[in-house]
Amino acid sequence: MTMILKINDIECSYGTVKVLNGLTFSVSSGSFTGIIGPNGSGKSTLLKSLSRVLKPVKGTVLLDEKDLYRMDTQEVAKKMAVVPQETAVNFSFTVKDIVIMGRSPHLGRFQSEGEKDFAAARQAMVMTDTLHLADRQITAVSGGERQRVIIAKALTQEPEIILLDEPTSHLDINHQVEILSLLQQLNRENNLTIISVFHDLNQAAQYCDSIILMEKGAVFTVGKPAEVLTAGNIKEVYGANVLVRKHPATGRPSIILLARDSQIDSKNGRVHVVCGGGAGASLLGLLTGQGYAVSAGVLNAGDVDWETARFLDIRMVEEIPFLPVSERSHQENIELLADADICILANIPFGWGNLKNLEAVSFALEQSKSVLIIEEQDIKERDFTDGKAELLYNGLKKKGAVVLRDEAAVLNTLGDLLAVKPPAGQQ
Amino acid sequence: MYQHDRIWQRRTIVLILLVVLVLTVVLCTTIGPAGIAFTDVLTMLLRRIPWIGSMIPRGDWPANYETIVFQMRLARVILAALVGAGLAASGVVLQGLLINPMADPYVLGISQGAALGATVAMLLLGGTIALGIYSVPLAAFLCGLATAIIVYNLARVGNRVQRSTLLLAGIAAGLFLSSITSYLMITSGQNAQQILFWMIGGFAGRGWEHVKILLPYILTGYLLMHLYARKMNIILLGEEPAQHLGIDVEKMKKVLLAAATLTTTSAVSVSGVIAFVGLIIPHAVRLLVGPDHRILLPAAALTGATFLIMADALARVAAAPEEIPVGIITALCGGPFFIYLLRKKNHPGF
Repeated sequence: MTMILKINDIECSYGTVKVLNGLTFSVSSGSFTGIIGPNGSGKSTLLKSLSRVLKPVKGTVLLDEKDLYRMDTQEVAKKMAVVPQETAVNFSFTVKDIVIMGRSPHLGRFQSEGEKDFAAARQAMVMTDTLHLADRQITAVSGGERQRVIIAKALTQEPEIILLDEPTSHLDINHQVEILSLLQQLNRENNLTIISVFHDLNQAAQYCDSIILMEKGAVFTVGKPAEVLTAGNIKEVYGANVLVRKHPATGRPSIILLARDSQIDSKNGRVHVVCGGGAGASLLGLLTGQGYAVSAGVLNAGDVDWETARFLDIRMVEEIPFLPVSERSHQENIELLADADICILANIPFGWGNLKNLEAVSFALEQSKSVLIIEEQDIKERDFTDGKAELLYNGLKKKGAVVLRDEAAVLNTLGDLLAVKPPAGQQ
Repeated sequence: MYQHDRIWQRRTIVLILLVVLVLTVVLCTTIGPAGIAFTDVLTMLLRRIPWIGSMIPRGDWPANYETIVFQMRLARVILAALVGAGLAASGVVLQGLLINPMADPYVLGISQGAALGATVAMLLLGGTIALGIYSVPLAAFLCGLATAIIVYNLARVGNRVQRSTLLLAGIAAGLFLSSITSYLMITSGQNAQQILFWMIGGFAGRGWEHVKILLPYILTGYLLMHLYARKMNIILLGEEPAQHLGIDVEKMKKVLLAAATLTTTSAVSVSGVIAFVGLIIPHAVRLLVGPDHRILLPAAALTGATFLIMADALARVAAAPEEIPVGIITALCGGPFFIYLLRKKNHPGF
């Protein structure tokens, strides 16, 4: 594989402040390379030095084996296009005026655009789906559209390589996906080499073939997303606690930031959540984040609540997938309930398989535990046991279970309940 | 096919403005105290047109009327047109280059620098016109260029030129330089009247010899600017993006700054400091034709020429038989306009 860009031991400084310190890496032709790193690690500076804006005080940048800083500006622009982070254009140029500016490197000294140039601009606008905007004022299009227009301008340059600086940082999520998918398509179908600074690690993980992780103006590590984006590397470079999992659909690493940070006062108290099927997943996350000792049950292995609980490292009672709650699981569930200060029943549907979960909650009430019920949907709509579940459910209400509307209400009520009641261990 | 429409659109606009300019030239040539009939002036002018001129019969006007029209009035009108075109084009270039809607040769102090240069040259040469006629423009150019460079560097922090700093530096430099000129004026005795003329600006007593001096400078300056018209559009995206599109921004800035300074200072050296033409005209024209320099530049030059001819005609007749310096009229129009632009904060300006 040929290397389109070779960076050899470069050092860059702004005045006396050294920003890049001995960077060395190569980018292979046709790759999608991401540059990540915390604020101030020198990502944007690196991009500047790769785009012939900031000359390194030491070291070389080779573009197609030629020293970038000895090449003519116009020669570089024929091979390399740059999409800046923010592209505010304050002039009443039309979109097509802006796109055709991309032909500038291909035009002679004082030549005007010809048929060939307009064809290239048109093609770029088709690729970026901006042709319908051609006659609109650039000031009158949305942020996502404007970014696509700027990418169209870059494509009109017919470059071999595009550098982007956080191309999606000012965009809504739908536009982010739009822009990144477009880049991916250009990378795959047109064999365009893409180098982009990313702020969002998940975006980098999902779209890049190769990632450069920077720390304090140097390369921390380079490699495939799965090699670079490990919890250990992220902890070391960003100082953040994350969970790295395999994205179920793409198989690429997926990074989840843990909300459990030392700045929030950890809440005391044990909470048992009776859930299943996905109804409790977000509640489990919220409770864990608040610092409660959470347990859950009975969950069928493989369902969303089970995945979440396992992922959050929560104590739980497991059952074999699709099997009804066994007597043994039921007993374990009751034991966990007995340990807890408070029991929460999520808004789950009931069938013959999980009817025992209702019995467990009923048992908790008899043990004079506080029980909170989240009722987002009427029980009639989620009872698939010919009224048996409804009966048990209404029984819970009669025995003093508190019915709440949503998770936010649960968090509030939990705070109040546990403030007056000492945690279970101290009774 | 849109490019062809665009080119025709541009040509049409230039043609219309050209016709308006010619009509203004004719109309303003007829204005004056001698009381020569409009039709007579028109006939005189038409008779000077090659080929068709000989077909038009001569009217029965006194012989000295032709001298008045051609030697005095027409020369002055043409001179005003050249100065107006030069200042307006310089304004367009400075605004584009500095990405600053408030930039103009007067606000940036370039005009005042040139006026000081012209004053010093004139005083040193003791009014020997034979030498002075070429050395005064040269001195004006050098001082104007020096002012432009100083103001630009004062406003630059690292690689960025701050809009407000640039204006303040320009205004400060302009005041500083014109106060030196004032001092020279007061201490110079019999030359005071001439120096005052440079400070306010006007076309009184100007003739064909001034047109001859000015024409090559204005043409050279304008051509240089026009050659960069397409690239100036790209500069509006910002200096870094322009560089990414293969433009040698530093070189372009130097060439264009020199061209704008050349045009401005040569205009100042014959007409004195005429304020604000370089500010009002580019803005007004931009509103009409949009930001594309390929049309903006010629349209602004033609409109600037038309505007200054009219302003000069007004200067001649407003307080007749006394003549007001044209610089007073342009400043009267430009001052409020400048304040309006300052107040219009949220508008992008382009």
